[in-house]
Amino acid sequence: MGYYVISKIELEGSDSLKSTDVGYTSDVDIVNEINEAYDASLGLFLGENRTKLELRLVSVSSFFSETPYVNEARTEVDEIEGLSLSEINNVNEL
Amino acid sequence: MAVPIKGNVTNNNSTPGGNFRNQAHNQNVGSGGLIVAQFCMSNSVSYSSATYGGVAMTQLYQINRSGLGQRMAFFYLENPPTGSNTLRVNFSGSQWNPLSTHIRSFTNSGGIGNSLRSGGSATPHNASLTVSDDSLIMMTSCSINAITSQQIPTGTNQSYTQHNTNRQVATGAISSNAGHSAGSIPLRATATFGNLSLDRTEILGISAPVDTGNADFFMIL
Repeated sequence: MGYYVISKIELEGSDSLKSTDVGYTSDVDIVNEINEAYDASLGLFLGENRTKLELRLVSVSSFFSETPYVNEARTEVDEIEGLSLSEINNVNEL
Repeated sequence: MAVPIKGNVTNNNSTPGGNFRNQAHNQNVGSGGLIVAQFCMSNSVSYSSATYGGVAMTQLYQINRSGLGQRMAFFYLENPPTGSNTLRVNFSGSQWNPLSTHIRSFTNSGGIGNSLRSGGSATPHNASLTVSDDSLIMMTSCSINAITSQQIPTGTNQSYTQHNTNRQVATGAISSNAGHSAGSIPLRATATFGNLSLDRTEILGISAPVDTGNADFFMIL
């Protein structure tokens, strides 16, 4: 696989996640930086609250009350042509 | 028959966080188009349907691996819309665990052939699939432990993607480009320890035009 698609994850409605593809990279360091930030924020929240989310005892909206969005880079594609995405060379471009 | 031509691949291992997930995928242009999607996730919810470019996909199977707490599924669509489109998979409720997604395009395909599924069995897990001439085999496994090989046929390691759905998933393994001769193909999946499942599906080659020797010729004099 040659490319990683970077997605913006934000709240949709009151209790769902929305994922929007915002760019791509082939730089594994950028991928790791994005995914480590995700794992330390939304990933941690989901891990700690998975059962409560399933039982609707917790809403994912509580996470987004302090953080408008997070990025994730866990889509891999072997061909980027045709996906209409711009290359990201630095996480600050996001 | 002619061997299916492998096209674009998309893999994803994100948490849907809702009752569906959208994934962009670019379907190759060519005759005999086919798109397939393999999924694995926690069995807390089930797959209800899938579409590509708004066209309903066919569910080949959906199986609840209760021992692993996972639900695995395979959807496909023949002659799908080409170019970049959204593959949407719908669930019976919100999924807050990671989803393993593998999407692969083909051209020159005759569709889906035989498919068999085997539940958890001690490593090495051996199985087989009977195929037609010039077919390819796709394979996927799930385990509590790290998966260490997907062999198509047995003895030939094929590359795959390892996903984490709170279980270990090997997805995307497929036969070499040359395809298989007709017959029973031995398959093997291995893990570091313990049991793993082994699901396998045949991708048919496209039928070549048959020369009957009775073609009509028109000669203009």
